[in-house]
Amino acid sequence: MLGIPDPQIWIAYLLCIALAIACIIYGFLNWNRGGA
Amino acid sequence: MAASLFWIVLVTAIYLVMILCLGYIGYKKTKAAEDYLVAGRNVHPVVIALSYGATFISTSAIVGFGGQAANLGMGLIWLTVFNIGVGVLLAFVIFGKKTREIGSRLKAITFPDLMGKIYSSQFMQVVSGLVIIVGMPLYTAAVLIGGAQFIKETLGISYAASLIGFAVIVAIYVIFGGLIAVMYTDAVQGAIMLIGMTFLLIFTYVILGGVTAAHTALTNMADMVPAKLAEQGMNGWTVMPDLGSPIWFTLVTTLVLGVGIGVLAQPQLVVRFMTAKDGRSLNRAVLVGGPFILMMTGVAFTVGALTNVYFNQTKGTIAVVAAGGNVDSIIPLFINLATPDWFTVLFMVTLLAAAMSTLSSLFHAMGTALICDVWGRGRECALSLKANQIGVLVMIVVSVIVAFLMPGSIIAIATAMFMGLCASAFLPVFAVAVYCKRPDPFAAKVSLVVGAAVWFLWALFVNSRYAAVFGLSGAVLGKTSVLPYPWSAIDPLIIALPLSGLAILLLQARAGRLMAESAPV
Repeated sequence: MLGIPDPQIWIAYLLCIALAIACIIYGFLNWNRGGA
Repeated sequence: MAASLFWIVLVTAIYLVMILCLGYIGYKKTKAAEDYLVAGRNVHPVVIALSYGATFISTSAIVGFGGQAANLGMGLIWLTVFNIGVGVLLAFVIFGKKTREIGSRLKAITFPDLMGKIYSSQFMQVVSGLVIIVGMPLYTAAVLIGGAQFIKETLGISYAASLIGFAVIVAIYVIFGGLIAVMYTDAVQGAIMLIGMTFLLIFTYVILGGVTAAHTALTNMADMVPAKLAEQGMNGWTVMPDLGSPIWFTLVTTLVLGVGIGVLAQPQLVVRFMTAKDGRSLNRAVLVGGPFILMMTGVAFTVGALTNVYFNQTKGTIAVVAAGGNVDSIIPLFINLATPDWFTVLFMVTLLAAAMSTLSSLFHAMGTALICDVWGRGRECALSLKANQIGVLVMIVVSVIVAFLMPGSIIAIATAMFMGLCASAFLPVFAVAVYCKRPDPFAAKVSLVVGAAVWFLWALFVNSRYAAVFGLSGAVLGKTSVLPYPWSAIDPLIIALPLSGLAILLLQARAGRLMAESAPV
């Protein structure tokens, strides 16, 4: 994919992007949770 | 092409004035020990996220691990998966909120203090402090070297002057401004790093003719893998090494797992959780932290591997050869040769920011461990501002001396060492401390000692890469490793962490059973 032949590597790239998006979604969903 | 000295000096001066101004604000806001040690427990979530990220990512990640990606290929991107999944999501969501809650309730001010108070044990506090004092200078020296090498390359001044000048500038604002200065300068430095790394990614792909073209060119260089690396299992820069080969063990156990898991129990990062006002701040910090780390290590490892294409197109050789064999020189050399002058200046400030934001936290963590947790524990001076400032100064001097004693190509290895030691010694006791209702002090003591002792023994006498750096095994026994391959290629963390984890689980279960038996019916 995109010039990278080894699925072990491009899967890692996809996982990185998915996890970063998960962080954004988590932050928004819990924006007001966990107050003092 | 090196940028003109005038622009470098001007931009660097503006940056340093900005940082020292923030340091001065920190100094003015620091009224009490709690301000100096945990920034008054009232830090803005964006500052927490950028400070955590900028502390987490140093020149070690960009220069050291970027160089390792140039050497070993894109497989290092698995470390970015761990950096985000473990270093941000798991760290903040599973450990961060509990740590903040308990730290605030027990009024803990340092990581060893937190351990000591949770387990009601002076031993836990002192030994945790000692592990920091012994292990952290290795990592601090690696970060210092990364910054000094780039300053030397760019400004053309001597290595010794670069290293000492660099340490002195950070020392000024850490010693006087405490954690408030550290975190506010971190946030500005994090923003600069984000801009620098974004430009670096765009530049690299533009220079190499686009995303697919760059990756395809790197794939087609597989026949240029040095014979020594090919013998050890490396197949190219866009494919993973052979499963179970020496290169695979180094890549997966030392670089990916050692650093990927090691980040969870680093004292200078755990303190960040204790600066949050409430759990909500930590939830909001996750939003910034994940994408920030992606843009730091994801870019560094990708660009690191792609430097091979640039050096092949311009010099007909691979990156590590172009850099004279020192992997730590690859990224600075690529920046100086491949990018426009103005970007060289921006990237130098980016690297200065990356190094300073990490160094400041390490100096702070080591100095406070020395004073609050070890030397001054139980005395009046444990919470004295002046004593802590002297502690920070002492540990800065120690780190500079260690930096001068270290060999070349050491940055990534020294970083992995420290993170592996932290995970082996601290992770099980930290996990039980925040998630167990009645953490058992004896179980924790055994786990801490087993984790640290096994890690040191394996690093000194078995893992051939680490043992070669320390030289003790060679001097005493006449050979680098006392065990044959594959043991000599396995990182100490892979042995020490399961043992320290097993120790605490078995003894904690035993303590729980004893408590249940002695409870009144």
